Amino acid sequence: MAWLEASPLGHAMRDTGLWTYSVVNLTHILGVAMLFGSILILDLRLLGLWKQVPLSALSAPVVSIAGIGLVVALISGSGLLATKATEYVGNPFLYIKFPAIGLGLLNIWLLHRSSAWRAHRVRALEPREESQLRRMGGVSLASWLTAISAGRMIGYW
Amino acid sequence: MRSSLGVLVGVALVLSALPAAAHHGWGGNSDAVSEMTGVVVSPVSLSGPHGTMKIKTADGKTWDITLAPPFRTSSAGLKQDTLKVGNMVTVHGNKNRDANRFEMKTVQVDYEGKHFMVYPEREATLHR
Repeated sequence: MAWLEASPLGHAMRDTGLWTYSVVNLTHILGVAMLFGSILILDLRLLGLWKQVPLSALSAPVVSIAGIGLVVALISGSGLLATKATEYVGNPFLYIKFPAIGLGLLNIWLLHRSSAWRAHRVRALEPREESQLRRMGGVSLASWLTAISAGRMIGYW
Repeated sequence: MRSSLGVLVGVALVLSALPAAAHHGWGGNSDAVSEMTGVVVSPVSLSGPHGTMKIKTADGKTWDITLAPPFRTSSAGLKQDTLKVGNMVTVHGNKNRDANRFEMKTVQVDYEGKHFMVYPEREATLHR
């Protein structure tokens, strides 16, 4: 954390004007909104809602918007953390948020590696594959909800 | 379809017109206004959601002085180079409800006869 605070990113966050933090904070919210707003639709579809919408029609736009949102959130979030990184040491919500992000990213990686996910673009899924994706949709929803909730609470500790 | 989009835009506009809530609010701080005098040990910082500084009081405790958001603190005349380490200041504000957290949400900072009103709309001297 001391290293992050002393990094060029930390200096840039502190020394580039009165509105830097608030604009980066706004960017972070937009990134999170893109990530969660789009992935919520996919997760609910995987959990069994809107069966009439083909998964293959939904997955491409959702994955690209969520991916852009994730990158925006990671970059802006690093800046927010770097501003006064050492002050967050001991903040319990931080220790909930980052494992939750880790779980969410691991889940994304596992999903994209799964044969069911690869198959959904070219054919209808078997019930076994659908239930595998349903579990991953549930894990995704739980991990991002946890990350966002804990992240919001960091400021109130 | 068009009407539901209109409702959505309307709701968004109403929400954005609400006054932006402060990052923490005052809920975690005492309703009573108090003042204390101490020596600046960490000068004003205007990075992050709020301006901050640290002062050390005569009883040896170091207090986190939470100021207004950066732009408002700066507009009140309190800039990063206004106070130096060692300066004697008096702060008025609302102490954290948790007696183990030496933090005050600060309404006014006095230094050498100057009054920096970082939250001019809030009462700085309720106890008088």
